[in-house]
Amino acid sequence: MSFSIEKGEFVLIVGSSGSGKSTLLNMIGLLDRPTNGKVFIDGTDTTNLTDSKISSFRNKKLGFIFQFSNLLTDLTVLENVLLPREIAGTSDSAEKNARELLKAVGLDDQINKRANKISGGQAQRAAIARGLINNPSIVLADEPTGNLDSVTAEIIVQLMKSMAKKLNQTFIVVTHDQHQFGDVDRVITIKDGKSFEGNLPSEMEVLA
Amino acid sequence: MEYRLRLAKRMLFNKKGSLIGAVLAVTIGILVIHVNFVIFQGLFDAIVRDISNYRNGDILITDEEDYIDKSDQALVNWFERIPYVEAATPRLSSTASINMTKFGTLHEETRIPIVGVDPLRDIRASTVHETVSDGQYVFSRNSIVLGSNVARDLGGAQVGDSLKLKIVDKYGQDQIKRLVVTGIAKSPGGQGFDYSVVVHIDTLRDLMNRDGDTGSIIVKLNDPSKASDVKNFFLAAFPNDDFLAETIEESAEEQLAGFRSGIAMINMIGYFGMMSSAFAIVTIQMMLVNGKTREIGVMRSIGATRKDILIIFIFQGMIIGAIGAGVGTAAGLGYTFYAKETKMSFNNSLPLEVSYNWEKIIQTAVLSFILAIIASLYPSYRATKLLPVEAMRTV
Repeated sequence: MSFSIEKGEFVLIVGSSGSGKSTLLNMIGLLDRPTNGKVFIDGTDTTNLTDSKISSFRNKKLGFIFQFSNLLTDLTVLENVLLPREIAGTSDSAEKNARELLKAVGLDDQINKRANKISGGQAQRAAIARGLINNPSIVLADEPTGNLDSVTAEIIVQLMKSMAKKLNQTFIVVTHDQHQFGDVDRVITIKDGKSFEGNLPSEMEVLA
Repeated sequence: MEYRLRLAKRMLFNKKGSLIGAVLAVTIGILVIHVNFVIFQGLFDAIVRDISNYRNGDILITDEEDYIDKSDQALVNWFERIPYVEAATPRLSSTASINMTKFGTLHEETRIPIVGVDPLRDIRASTVHETVSDGQYVFSRNSIVLGSNVARDLGGAQVGDSLKLKIVDKYGQDQIKRLVVTGIAKSPGGQGFDYSVVVHIDTLRDLMNRDGDTGSIIVKLNDPSKASDVKNFFLAAFPNDDFLAETIEESAEEQLAGFRSGIAMINMIGYFGMMSSAFAIVTIQMMLVNGKTREIGVMRSIGATRKDILIIFIFQGMIIGAIGAGVGTAAGLGYTFYAKETKMSFNNSLPLEVSYNWEKIIQTAVLSFILAIIASLYPSYRATKLLPVEAMRTV
C-alpha cells in the first residue's frame, strides 16, 4: 500500500479487527519497523534511522494518543504534558505552553493532580495535550475513544478536531468507529492488507 | 529537578514495598559489617589493650641478646623526660616452682611464669594491679600475688597464706624463698596474670642472682600514636647498646597474627553479606522494571532514548544506595554507640574495646552505595531492551 498525507489533514484509518490498522500506525509512528517499504515523514526516509535518531524523531515530529491514555501515573497531569518537552531538552516556556494546552483541553483545574486521580476522559484530554506539546508534524491516535463512553468519546473527538483545525495540525486516527468522527478530510480503509481511499469498497479507489 | 531523577524517585517512592525491601537489603549488609567490626575488631582491640596494659606497654624495650644490664633507674628516668611518655617500669621474668601446704596437704606447682615488678613504678605504667581482685598488689620484698588459676591449683591459696618459691638461678642452683600471699589476680581475656605470679623485682633478681639486670622496660605513652617516634628516638639515643624496641603492634605481632586472619575472614563474610544485598537489589529492581514495562514503552514512544531509560533506573540504584547507606550507617553507628555505652563484653567477661573507625565507616557506606549502583546496571540494561510497541501491550 502507498499513500501520502498532507499537512493539516485529519485522516481516519479504518478497517475491521486484525486488518493491520494499528500495525500501520505503529510503523508511521516508528514504533515498529516495516519488513518491506518505506515511511517518509517531512521528506525524511525513516527506514534507516538509528535507534537514538528514531527516538529524537518520535519526540520532535510525532505526537501519540493511545487507546488507554498511557499517562505516567507517577507524574501529575502537568508533568505528563511537559514530559516530551523535557525529553527534548527544550524547557523554555515549556510550562507556559503546557498550561495553555491544558486550558485548551479543559484541564486547567486538574494540572496538579496525579494522572491516576483523574477520569478516563480527562486522562485522554491530557494525552492530547501531551501529544501536541512539541508541535509535532503528525499526531497519531490509536483508537483514542475506544475506552470511553459515548458522551466522553464525542467530547474527545470534537476536541481533537478542533485542535487540529486551530493548530493546523495533521492527525492520523485509527478507529473502528468511523461514524463517531463525522466529517473528516480523508478516510483510508485497510482491507486484506491493502488500503483503499474512501468509505465503502464499491466507492474505493485502490491505492496499492 | 532533572526529569529522569524525578521519574526515578517517583517510580521508586510509589512502590514503597520495593523501596523498603531494597533499602533494607543495603542496610542489613552495612549493619553486618558494623556488628562484625564492633564484636571482632572490639575483641582484637581489647586483647591489644590488655597486652599493652598488662604486659608490653605501648613500647617494649628488651635486650636483643640477654638481659638489660643498664640501670633500670637510668632508663626509666630517660623515658619519663619525654613529654609523650606517661610512665615506664622495669620487669623481669622467669619460671618458678611453688609449693604450699594447705589443710595438711602439700600442693606443688612447677613451671609457673613469674614476673618481677617495681611496685611503685608498675602501678603507673601498667594496670595489672587493677586485676588484683582479692588483697593488694605486691608491696614488699616478701609479698607475692598469685594468679587466680595458680591459687586454685595450689589448693585454694588465699591472701595471708605462706608458700615456698623455688627458682633456678643463673648458675643453675636452686634458690628458695618463703613469701606471703598478698593478693589474688584475676582478669578476663587471658592476657592478665591468672596463670602467673608477681613478686617484687628485687626479690626475683636476688633469687635469679641477677643483681641489676632487667628483663624489659615497658613504656606507657599518653599518646600511643607517637610510639614509633619515641621508639626511634630511644634507639637513636642508645646506638651502642643491643636494645630491641618494639611498638605494641610489633611486640604482640605473634599473638595477634591469628586474630588478624580471623578478622579478615569475618570481614570477608561481611562483604559476602553485602554482595547478597546486591543480589537482592537486582531482584527487587527487576521487579520494578517488570512493573513499569508499560511506562517504559510510553516513554520510549514519546521520545525517550535507551540511554534515558538506563539513566532513570541507575538513578533508582543510586537512590536505593544512598538511602540504604544512610540508614545502614545510622543503624551501625547506633549499634556501636550502644556497645560503647553499655561497655559490651565478649563472653560476658572481656570488655570489648569499641571505637568509631570513621575511615571504615565511610568506606563501608561508599562501598554499599557503589554496589547498589552496580546492582542496578543489569535491571537498567534490561529496561532499555524493551521495545516500545511490545512494552505498551502490557496493560
